[in-house]
Amino acid sequence: MKAEDVQGGTRARMRTELLVSLGILAAVALLPAIVANEYWRGVFIVSMYFAMLAAAWNLLAGYTGQLSLAPAAFGMIGGYVTGLLSYHYNAPPMVGIPAAIVVSGLIGFVLGRIVLRLRGPYLALTTLSFAEIVRLIISNSIEITRGDLGLNVPGIFDHRLAYYYAMLAVLLAVQLGLYFLLRTPAGLYLRAIRDDEIAAASRGVKIVLWKTNAFTLSAAISGLAGALYGHFAQFVSPELGLISQTGIIISMVVIGGLGTLPGPIGAAFLVYIASEFLRGFGGYQLIVFALLVIIFSRFFREGLWGLLRRAFERARARPATAQAAE
Amino acid sequence: MPCLLIDRVSKSFGGIKALDRTSFTVDAGELVGLIGPNGSGKTTLINILSGYLAADAGRVDLDGRPTGGLRPETLAALGVQRTFQLTRSFPRMSTLDNLLVAGSALGLSQEAAETRALELLEDLALVRLMHLDAGHLSGGQLKLLEFGACFMVPPRIALLDEPFAAVHPTMKEIMAGFIRRRHAAGQTFILVSHDMPVIVELCPRTICMNAGAVIADENTRAVLTDPVVIEAYLGEAAA
Repeated sequence: MKAEDVQGGTRARMRTELLVSLGILAAVALLPAIVANEYWRGVFIVSMYFAMLAAAWNLLAGYTGQLSLAPAAFGMIGGYVTGLLSYHYNAPPMVGIPAAIVVSGLIGFVLGRIVLRLRGPYLALTTLSFAEIVRLIISNSIEITRGDLGLNVPGIFDHRLAYYYAMLAVLLAVQLGLYFLLRTPAGLYLRAIRDDEIAAASRGVKIVLWKTNAFTLSAAISGLAGALYGHFAQFVSPELGLISQTGIIISMVVIGGLGTLPGPIGAAFLVYIASEFLRGFGGYQLIVFALLVIIFSRFFREGLWGLLRRAFERARARPATAQAAE
Repeated sequence: MPCLLIDRVSKSFGGIKALDRTSFTVDAGELVGLIGPNGSGKTTLINILSGYLAADAGRVDLDGRPTGGLRPETLAALGVQRTFQLTRSFPRMSTLDNLLVAGSALGLSQEAAETRALELLEDLALVRLMHLDAGHLSGGQLKLLEFGACFMVPPRIALLDEPFAAVHPTMKEIMAGFIRRRHAAGQTFILVSHDMPVIVELCPRTICMNAGAVIADENTRAVLTDPVVIEAYLGEAAA
């Protein structure tokens, strides 16, 4: 047995996933050359916001097995941190965005500690309650947050294209960061906790530390996404934290492929763009996505990415078997 | 100083006394068989030794240090490694990654963990399955994999809970050979098993438990012919 054989398997699979992710992002980088329409460019920017939230939730749910129902709440928290800092203290985005990352991360850390011993439906319900509590606090603290009226947030750039490439650069950084994190032993620990927490502990994996890390990092990325979205939209409201937003994020990850790198970000674009088309038909988007989630989680557990990967493997195996037959 | 000291450990579940002042010691380098009828407290004891359960009373010392209140992951890092009666693995991770988790968590560098994992896969005849997800392995192969994970870093003491149950004779032989070689090299074991021929073959000393208490603790032949042990297994008439 040679040492290079170790390089196959998981590492080769992850490299492919990274390359496909980079391919998706390269395509997104070229999109403005084809699509000149400002409205659609805005749709793509919002898709990138969702892609970051999907990637962050995927780290927690797909790689660590912690089915949190609070990803949209952390996006909302991030948006409000930078929004409130600029509204009350005139803080520039250079201060507001890092503050959003830190505050969301800290709240994620605390939530992670609270739900440490909870699993499955108990974890889901507790994180859901947390998300609703935060949304209601923001919505009812009218003197501070202006409640449901929402908060105006100053913009950063003059041109939409500048937001476009700023979002893309951050999404690329998030995706690369996740890849390099998951390649280290941390990736092994998180997936071990997902597969069997009891077995992971018996092998010496520090369960408390890694679960908390996953919650903190996922929340920090979501907060960053929310802060960037707030500055782009120049407006944040409690609607960012609605459970239906979380539903969209979950559908993106499940349709794209839970626990895969390219799946969630690819599907974030597909789902959000599809929801723009479906908007004309009234409130049917969520029904369509809910059905897709049910179909995918029942029949295609690895999502679109899994389907693509298997089709590719079959195509590659066919010439080989043909040769063997000769 | 014994490697492992178990001193009057008790544990109840509701009104049932699973362990009732259980005491024994294991010296470094010993391979001790632990037998007893179903429900005699063997797995409860293993769960306490590995930190999954807290004892109601009594103490457990590892190399003279009390282990009460330590988490399973802390005990694993101190060198208490175990297998589970119902095999546990990471089904959506490759066979190789299953071993690398253990190696990395116990402080091996990535290269050292990979070298070690390849040696173990070779030893346990799992090399050609290394990139297959553990979820696709057979029950016996999973037992071998879990067993291997205990030895990524040679443990201070290996607690093997029924490693031979429902395992094909060929795989059983692979595992028994592995245990024999490690024991010869000085590895300490507690081996829980109902498979008397294997216990006789491997373990110089055997402890028999019944109803949460140690009823026999001496060389294996003597334990297996002890009327008290036979009575516990087969009922009074047979003795």
